[in-house]
Amino acid sequence: MSGPRRLGVPRRVAVEPDAAGRPLEVDGRTVDSVRESWLIEDRWWTERPLRRRYWEIVTTCGRNEIVFVDLFSQRWWRQR
Amino acid sequence: MFVMIVSVLLPRFALATALGDRGELLQTPCALAPEPGGVQKVGEVSPAAEALGLHPGLRLGESLARCPELTLVPPDPAGVADRWERLLVRLESIGAAVEPERPGLVCFEARGLLRLHGGIDGVLAAARRALRAPARFGVAPSRFAAVAAATRARSRRPEIVSGSGRAVARAYLASLPVSLLRARAALAELPDALERLGVRTLGELAGLPSAVLADRFGSLGLLAHELACGGDSPLHPRPPGEFLRESLDLPEAGSGVQLERGLGLLIDRLLARRERRGRTIRAVVISAVLVEQGGTWREQVVFREALSDPVRMRLALTPRLALMPAPADALRLAVERFGPLASDQRGLLEAPAEERAGRLREAIRQARVVAGPDAALRVLTVDPDSRFPERRAVLTPFEG
Repeated sequence: MSGPRRLGVPRRVAVEPDAAGRPLEVDGRTVDSVRESWLIEDRWWTERPLRRRYWEIVTTCGRNEIVFVDLFSQRWWRQR
Repeated sequence: MFVMIVSVLLPRFALATALGDRGELLQTPCALAPEPGGVQKVGEVSPAAEALGLHPGLRLGESLARCPELTLVPPDPAGVADRWERLLVRLESIGAAVEPERPGLVCFEARGLLRLHGGIDGVLAAARRALRAPARFGVAPSRFAAVAAATRARSRRPEIVSGSGRAVARAYLASLPVSLLRARAALAELPDALERLGVRTLGELAGLPSAVLADRFGSLGLLAHELACGGDSPLHPRPPGEFLRESLDLPEAGSGVQLERGLGLLIDRLLARRERRGRTIRAVVISAVLVEQGGTWREQVVFREALSDPVRMRLALTPRLALMPAPADALRLAVERFGPLASDQRGLLEAPAEERAGRLREAIRQARVVAGPDAALRVLTVDPDSRFPERRAVLTPFEG
């Protein structure tokens, strides 16, 4: 084993947000409701700070997903 | 008996290693800063600092008083140990049985290598080629005389004392200053006292009756007299070693609980290494790269008894993490010495739980033989309370 392997690493996901940044579609599936949303900021004292807006959503087909947007790169990620 | 000791000296080895790619600082007054938590004395100093009266072992306050523009370089004990080990292995590759005195200074007996490399010049040329680093060579009949010769050698011209026996070594040392005794750690304080008493050369020291030196300095005085007379203890070459190390990068500059979990992970990985071949571990070295370019930290731990039990290793090693002076960017664990094979003798009455654990271990072993070391892994919780899910757990080799 070359090194410890992290679990729960975020994976890229295609999200269609509205003007306020709220996800409307995740991987082509329409979002039915947003259960929760929260902001996390960390490592602000380093050169690589982290700022993420998390969304826990339920799609119309019944999937429960957690996605977040990296507020620096504006890219969307899925996390379990 | 004919003895020919070769001494290899790499001047300012620790300082040059700590400077890394900032080698231009050697042209300015700079010195190795004291170890965190250690005695407040500077380490190796640059030539420019030496010209201003600084020397290794001088108190920090006095060093700054003598040279206010002195640059202090954070020590890099782990880097020094790594680089020194590499150089020693290179010397061993030419057949030399080396006895390292300290990082930057090593001796070996050349007698057995003369035929192999075609005389002493051939031995020195082979050592120079193997080292691939600028070094000074001294050759003499005693270890101390060889070290003294190496300090007088030029980088391209070795200092060779021809002949053998105490008399030759004594004659060579006679005109040299007593400050050379600082090369022996136990005698580091002696030259100042001797100079205050008017003894300036090793010849003058050798001319004194040994009883007088014993009266004044005790056993250290007798040792210094023996060295000045051309004597020394025989070399004790180190046994050829094996290099087994595991390291872990800590992207979040770990400390506290995270470091402890990281250490547990390193112990598991070290014990899972195939090269261990079932042997116990007698001594290990924990080292860390500190944050904000704070240098490195290194701690050697010798276990009370050779062991291969991860729980006991954690108990012995975890308290050492508290000695770390700053959070770490990377943590390393290396085996310094192996012990005997772990006992595999079965008890008379085997408990069912142990039997099951034994079967599990055997199954894991067989699975690893077939599918490689990643065949059996377990989830190790690293930082369960982290707000970022990807930091909470890692996969690590399963130890049954």
